[in-house]
Amino acid sequence: MIVLTGLNHKTAPIAVREKIFAGCQEKSDLLPALRSISGVEEVLYLSTCNRVEVIASVAEDGKAIKEISDFLARNGCLTEAESKGCFYEYRGEKAVRHLFRVASSLDSMVMGEAQILGQVKDAYRDALAKYTTGIVLNRLMHCSFRAAKRVRSETGIAVNPVSVSHAAVELAKKIFGSLDGKKILLIGAGEMAELTGQQLIEKGAKSVIIANRSLAQAELLAAKFHGEAADLDALDKKLIEADIVISSTGASDFIVTADMLRKIYHQRKNRLLFLIDIAVPRDIDPSASDLENVYLYNIDNLQDIVDENMNVRKKEAIKAEKIVDEEVARYVNWQKELESVPTIVSLRNMAGEIVQAEMEKASGWMQNLNKDDQEKIDVLVNSIVNKVLHAPVSVLKEESSDISSRDIVDAVRRLFRLD
Amino acid sequence: MIFSNLECMTFNMALILCAVSTTGYLLSLLVKRVRLARISTWILAAAFGFLTINFLFVMMNSSWLVNLDSRDFLSFCAWAVCAVYLALQFKTKTRVLGAFISPLILLFMIAAAGEEAGRDLRPQNLQSWLTALHLFLTIFGEALFAIASCAGLMFIMQNRLLKNKKLGGMIRLLPSLNDLDRINHLCLLWGFPILSVGIIAGVIFAEIRWETGWLADPKIIWTFAGWMIYGFLLHQRLAIGWKGYRMALFSGIAFVLLLLSYGGVKICFSTLHSFFQP
Repeated sequence: MIVLTGLNHKTAPIAVREKIFAGCQEKSDLLPALRSISGVEEVLYLSTCNRVEVIASVAEDGKAIKEISDFLARNGCLTEAESKGCFYEYRGEKAVRHLFRVASSLDSMVMGEAQILGQVKDAYRDALAKYTTGIVLNRLMHCSFRAAKRVRSETGIAVNPVSVSHAAVELAKKIFGSLDGKKILLIGAGEMAELTGQQLIEKGAKSVIIANRSLAQAELLAAKFHGEAADLDALDKKLIEADIVISSTGASDFIVTADMLRKIYHQRKNRLLFLIDIAVPRDIDPSASDLENVYLYNIDNLQDIVDENMNVRKKEAIKAEKIVDEEVARYVNWQKELESVPTIVSLRNMAGEIVQAEMEKASGWMQNLNKDDQEKIDVLVNSIVNKVLHAPVSVLKEESSDISSRDIVDAVRRLFRLD
Repeated sequence: MIFSNLECMTFNMALILCAVSTTGYLLSLLVKRVRLARISTWILAAAFGFLTINFLFVMMNSSWLVNLDSRDFLSFCAWAVCAVYLALQFKTKTRVLGAFISPLILLFMIAAAGEEAGRDLRPQNLQSWLTALHLFLTIFGEALFAIASCAGLMFIMQNRLLKNKKLGGMIRLLPSLNDLDRINHLCLLWGFPILSVGIIAGVIFAEIRWETGWLADPKIIWTFAGWMIYGFLLHQRLAIGWKGYRMALFSGIAFVLLLLSYGGVKICFSTLHSFFQP
C-alpha cells in the first residue's frame, strides 16, 4: 500500500518547516534510515521550500506511516506542541492523488508554478541513486510525471504570468516579439525595477541604463547589470536610446512627461516604446499613453493583469483536477492488476486462445482423422499446456500472500506480454 | 485527357485543403489555441503544393501559358498570396496571420472554381508575353500588398488591445507589434518594385498596341494612384522613418484604394481593361 506523510505551507508555519528541512538536510543517510523503518519497502523523500513529504510503499497499513512522521519530527527536533497538527497522512488512492496534485503544481502556493515538477524529479533521482525505490514507486513516480505533463499541456494553468514582473516581461514580448538587443532604461534604483530589469535581461534584452537622482546609487546598480549610470538631468537623451523604460522613483511629480516624449519623437525614429511605471505616486504622465507607438502601463494595470490571470488559473485548475483523477484511476488499475489472481486468469486465457487458434489452423488436415483420434489430440494438447503452466501458476498462488509477489507478478506479465 | 483529369483533381484537392485550413485557422481564433493555427499552416502548405502541381498540368495542357483563362488567373492569385504567406512563415513565426489571409485565398479559390475553364482571359489581339508578365507581376505585387494590409489590420487590433489594456485571450493569439510591423515592411519592400515592373510591362505593351488614349483609362489612373501611395509609404518608411501604427493605417487605406481600382472601377466606369464580352 502506498502512504504519504509530511507537511506543507498550509499545515505548518515556516519555523517548523525550516527545522524539519534543516534536520533532514544534514542527515546523509536519510533515505536508508527511512527504508529501515519496519514495514517500509520503498521510500522517497521530497523537500522544497514549501513542503517536506515522504512517499512510501508499506507492507500493510499499520504503524509505518506514524513512524515515518515521528522520524521526521525527531529529525527536525520538534517539540510535541510544534508537531501537533502539522503532519497530514494519506493512504492508498488518496496518497496517489496527493502526489499527482503536488507534481502538477495544484497544491503549490502559487498554483501552476513550474519548479515543482523539477523538484519532484530530483527527489526521485535521489531515491534511485540510493536504491530505495522499486516497482511500485517507480511506476507511481512516472505516472505522476505524466499527470503533471498532461496538466501543463492540456490546461492553461501555467500560461499567464501571475507576478507583476513576469506580467511586464510578457507585455514586452507582445510589443517587441523578441527582446534581443533591446535597451532598458531604469529610472530610480528600486528593488522592483531591479527585479523586472533582471528578468528582461534574462529574456535577451541587451543593455541597461540606470538613471537615478543619486549617481552613486545608480553606479552601484549599473555595476551589477554591467550597464551604464546616468544622471536624471540627462534623462531625455537616454530616453532616445531606450526601448523599455521602468520607472520607480519616489518623486512627487511626473519625471517623464508627454511633452518630453513628443520632443524626442523624431530622434527616436518612431520606434515602439514600452513604459512601465511602478511608482506611487506615478512617475510618468498618463497622457503619454495617447502618443503613437507608446505603450504605458502603471502598477495598477499590471496588478489587474495578475489578478485576471490568477482567476484564469483557478478556472483551469478544475480541468487539471479532472486530468489528475483520470491518471489516479489509471494507476490504481495497474496496481490492482499486480495482484496474482487476475494474472493467473489472464495467463490461462492467453494459453486457451493460443490452443484454440492452433487447433483451428490444423482443422484442415485433422478432418481426415477419425473422431476418436481427434479427441485424443485435443486431450494431449490441453495436458501439455496445463503442464507448462503448472509451475508459474503455482508459484503465483504460493507467493500471493507475500509482498514480494509483485515482482514475480510483474515479471510474469512482462514475460507473457499480458499487458 | 489524362492531364486535364489530373488538373481537375489537383485543383479540387487544393480547394478542399484550403477550405479545411481556413476553417482550422478561424477555429484557432475562436478557441484561442496557437497549435490549431500551426496545423492549419501545414494543411495550407499542402494545398499550395497541390495548386503548384495543378499549374504544372495547366502549363502542359495549354503549351506553356499561351492560353490563359480566368480560372487560371484567379487560382494564380490564390497561389501568389499563399506563396508569399508561406515564405513569410519562414522568416517570422506568426501563424495566426493565416486566419486573416486564408479566407482571402479561399475566396480566390472558390471564385476560380466557379469560372468556366478554357476561354482565354485576353482577347486574341492582346496575347503576348508582355501581357502575361504584366498579369503575373501585378498579381504578385498585389498579393504582397494584401498581406501588408492584413498585417496592418492586425497591428491596429493589437495596438488597440494594448492601449486599452484589454489583455484577455485575443492579445495572446495575435503576433507581437514588432513582428507585424516587420511583415508590413517586408511586403512593401518587395511588393513595390514587383508591382512597378508589372505596371511598366503593361505600359510598354499599351504603348506598342494602343499607342494613344490608354492613359486616360480610369482603371489605369486608379492603379497609378495606388502605386503612388505605396511609393509614398515606402519613402516615408525608409527616408522619414515612419513605423508602427501610422504605417499600418496607411497601408490599409492604400490597399482599399487598389481594391477600388480593380472592383469599383470595373462596375462604375467603362474601361479598356474589361476584355470580356459576355
